[in-house]
Amino acid sequence: MKLRVLRRLVLRLGQAVPILLVVAVVTFFLMHLLPGDPAAIIAGPEAGAEAIEKIRHQLGLDRSLPEQLALWLFHLAQGDFGRSIVLNQSVLEALSERLPVTVSLTVVSFAITIPLGIVAGVLAARFRNTWLDSAVMFLALVGVSIPGFWVAILSVILFSVTLGWLPASGYAPLADGVRPWLLSLLQPAAMLALFQIGFLARMARSATLDVLDQDYIRTARAKGVSEWRTIAKHAFRNTLIPVVTATGIILSLLMGGSVVIEQVFALPGVGRLIVQAILTRDYPLVQGTLLVLAFMFVGINLLVDVIYTWVDPRVRYG
Amino acid sequence: MAEQGQTTLLLGAATLAAMLLAGDGAVAQKRGGSLVYANVSAVGTLDPQAAAAVVDLEAIHHIFEGLVEMGEDYGAKPMLASKVDISPDGRVFTFTLRKGVKFHNGKEMTVADVIASFERYKKVSPNAPALADVAAMEAPDPHTFVIKLNKPNSLFVEVMKTPTYSFAIIPAELKDQPGRELEPVGTGPFQVQEWRKDSHLILKRFDGYVADETAKGADGYAGKKTVYLDTIRYNSVPEANTRLAALQTGGADFIATIPGDLAKRLQGRSDIKVMSVIPFCQATFITHAKNPPMSTNRSLRQAIATLVDADEMMTAAGQVWERNPSLMFKPSYYFSEIGASWYDRHSVDKAKALLKQGGYAGEKVVLETNANYAYMRDSSQVLVEQMKAAGINIELKMVDWTTNQADLSKGTGGWNMTITGLCSGPLLGPQQWRLSLAFAQNADDPVVTEGYAKMFATTDPAERKKIWQGIEKYFIEEGYMMKVADIADLRGMNDKFVGIKPYYMQRFWDVWAK
Amino acid sequence: MAEAVSDLLAPPRRFPVLRRLARHRSFRVGFVIVLVLLLAAIFAPLLTGFDPTAMRARLRFRPPQAAYLFGTDNFGRDVFTRCLYGARLSLTIGFGVAVLSGVIGAAAGIASAQFRWLDGAMMRLMDGLMAFPAIILAIGLAAAMGPNIGSLIVALSVAYIPRTARIVRASALVVRELEFVDASRVAGASSLRIIVKHLLPNCMGPLLVQLTFVFAYAILAEAALSFLGIGPPPPAPSWGNIIAEGRDQAVEAWWIMFFPGMAISLATLGMNLLGDGLRDVLDPRLKVET
Repeated sequence: MKLRVLRRLVLRLGQAVPILLVVAVVTFFLMHLLPGDPAAIIAGPEAGAEAIEKIRHQLGLDRSLPEQLALWLFHLAQGDFGRSIVLNQSVLEALSERLPVTVSLTVVSFAITIPLGIVAGVLAARFRNTWLDSAVMFLALVGVSIPGFWVAILSVILFSVTLGWLPASGYAPLADGVRPWLLSLLQPAAMLALFQIGFLARMARSATLDVLDQDYIRTARAKGVSEWRTIAKHAFRNTLIPVVTATGIILSLLMGGSVVIEQVFALPGVGRLIVQAILTRDYPLVQGTLLVLAFMFVGINLLVDVIYTWVDPRVRYG
Repeated sequence: MAEQGQTTLLLGAATLAAMLLAGDGAVAQKRGGSLVYANVSAVGTLDPQAAAAVVDLEAIHHIFEGLVEMGEDYGAKPMLASKVDISPDGRVFTFTLRKGVKFHNGKEMTVADVIASFERYKKVSPNAPALADVAAMEAPDPHTFVIKLNKPNSLFVEVMKTPTYSFAIIPAELKDQPGRELEPVGTGPFQVQEWRKDSHLILKRFDGYVADETAKGADGYAGKKTVYLDTIRYNSVPEANTRLAALQTGGADFIATIPGDLAKRLQGRSDIKVMSVIPFCQATFITHAKNPPMSTNRSLRQAIATLVDADEMMTAAGQVWERNPSLMFKPSYYFSEIGASWYDRHSVDKAKALLKQGGYAGEKVVLETNANYAYMRDSSQVLVEQMKAAGINIELKMVDWTTNQADLSKGTGGWNMTITGLCSGPLLGPQQWRLSLAFAQNADDPVVTEGYAKMFATTDPAERKKIWQGIEKYFIEEGYMMKVADIADLRGMNDKFVGIKPYYMQRFWDVWAK
Repeated sequence: MAEAVSDLLAPPRRFPVLRRLARHRSFRVGFVIVLVLLLAAIFAPLLTGFDPTAMRARLRFRPPQAAYLFGTDNFGRDVFTRCLYGARLSLTIGFGVAVLSGVIGAAAGIASAQFRWLDGAMMRLMDGLMAFPAIILAIGLAAAMGPNIGSLIVALSVAYIPRTARIVRASALVVRELEFVDASRVAGASSLRIIVKHLLPNCMGPLLVQLTFVFAYAILAEAALSFLGIGPPPPAPSWGNIIAEGRDQAVEAWWIMFFPGMAISLATLGMNLLGDGLRDVLDPRLKVET
């Protein structure tokens, strides 16, 4: 079986190549379609057309598009992701500085999401069709329905300014100590969790209900085993499956959420990096970053696949 | 001050600023303390010769210095040079360098570094054309720098004071570093401690700094600078609500660019002060002089200029502002009321009459603006409503700032008019304005080219002012520049720091913690 | 399970679906919310006497009161009126994205399922697009195509096509293997006929469910893009750009930002409730409780 898993892994990795190629080519043309000019940005508003043209030449932006694409792919093949125009640093260096922030944000938001989401979902399932179920599910739905930046701005005013409980902005690296790190992330992570909890609770509820419907559980119930024990014994393990699925989905949605949240809370993470890069037409940075993200996306999906086989013996690779 | 016709810049003269400083003496100055400054974006480059963004420049001028810098009154003042002698024909400039000035790497600055800096400027600066007329640079001795021009330019020293694309002096060994990638080593009172691109920059006091002891005190970017703070941390907090919250909660000690309506939130906080920096920029609509229908219909341009309603536009944007008909700020030697009759006319009826007179037949006018700056977005929206009322076929094209800026610089995008904030030209004088006049895409107009040639050739300031007024009148009357107002930048600060003064670009020397 | 899919949508039993929907509590609530917002958008001119873009400087920042239910903004424009007209734009975007991504997603999904030689390439393309975070793809596309409603709809649609295509493909693959589909294939039915007669009708349930969620996401995405400065261009109001313009007065004139935010939450909530109901009734694979 292990061999089959391994073969499957290799196959999936092989499939990743065309995906990444699609990403690379799409990003390249998308970026070069954008109006605006990075050379004009770095030259400054008062620079003349000649000065801008000179910078375009230095950056190689005056070459033909196919030529630029070929050159970029050629460098990529050698592992060179290019150099940011605006930041004057290599794409990988820029990313490696931002990644810890986004990963920290993700970790803290998951630490809030997973217990709360599962508990909410299981509770709703246990007390299905009661007021508790309705209330929990309604709140979960509200969570996925509120615009994140809107509630984030209101939250800063309430929790940071009026109550003074949490810092309003910025990121304290883990090296500064766990407490400041956690404090700097708590509010933005909670904003992300708002959406995620709603998402996870809904999946956890239906998974628990599915299990409670299974014959063997009905039997257990009929034999007089308490419902809580049944849930603890059988259903809980089964809710792990949707948790894994939801986690995978959330991880791939996360970048979308963190784009806006990082902007509001001034966290120097990957989301903000990409948005800034798009807005300043930093072609190599956008292209490189999106490609690395696509790598990670493929990796996460692969990981989710592997975890499936571990939590759910029914899933077999074939 | 060079504008008053002196040919030698005096050693750092006592200025109003120096006198004001004495007033702060109530709290004893002491060393120590760290200041956190939250700004709208992150420092992108620390290359003084290539940088143009205000956020970059504020940090850069703490690290680097030039031979001359702008003073408190925005005129040229000596900095690394102790004096400048200008030959009577306006072609030879002799700078006497200050002795014993140290770079952050411990090396002493000599004329070799000055020449290397100018050589690099010619290669990497977008403003390199400013040195196009340089015939020769000479070093008669280690502390004398001579620059010779092909043709007279009486404003050359004024050109050199520019804070944008600064003529900063860097160590000679860095002269081959590419543009925007310069290692930040200068002679300034602060040096770089830590720089995380796109996140934060920490500057620390440069203890080997050699101040200009001949000056009485700090004077704009020149004079005698004394550093009390240990460090300054520049943070990037783009969202205004968050920036304000950072100040309110102590996460930042100083913040820039508070929207006018948001500033009210700070009322009632005795420990927080709001400072209004004005003059800061000028909100101005600009016409594309090459795109019809506006390029070919003078009355249409004038009709639109007649619709501009300063009060309505600035109030809608929540902007702190002042009326000013001139393309120059009021303290400037070049300020005049020459454009007054065209300023803030806000009359739909007069505009309709002008439209009729010009035979306007409903041709489409494209107004390009961006959503990133509230005063640009909101002024444009107000103008669009007024243009509709006057019967003009107007299309509002809202793009992002990057597109807007590229279109403005290059004349691309098919716009007839757009709006921008003009900051350094109105502040620094006609030599700086030349860069912004190009936005109207008629820098090749004889009024501009011949006007500037004459202005540079004359040594008589009164004559220069007259020539500038001719250019200004032409741009206003022809409807190429439609001035809306002088706008302020609101900055907030915690009152635990003493000595912070309003200035176009913020400085933190001669600032100390209580 | 597969039988249930085909049974459910077979003609004689179609009305029971509607009856079950009408009995479904969250569907009912969602339906009412969406209907009210839709009617408000359609009849906006009848519900307010103001012009959404007319400026009256003397009426700036009026708090909510009888004459101005949601207060006025920095131009003295009536926020209630702007929210009503904003509903037109925001709902158009949501609807447009749902339809466009639905049509293209369904076409891609069904083509993949029916023409197996196409499947590999098509799914790799979809995986590739899916590897972009949706909002980032939308930012890039919206910026590239210029700021207008059309480009916004296209941008968001492209971002949501891959997920829709996958769902349709999965359902179509199930239906494709059913006996009666097999039978008609053996009987010599053309691909087109199989698609139109069998695959399309039987994928409608999951597709519809997915599209209600896409509708909801699109409304949220419009707001996020407006926040980043690349949403629908002012002065025409959308819920997102009203919030974006009002955020400089988030405390002082809280009503500018508060009401459109509530409108977005309500619309999204309505669509989600609607989607939940549809899913329970139309997509029995996910139905867990009756």
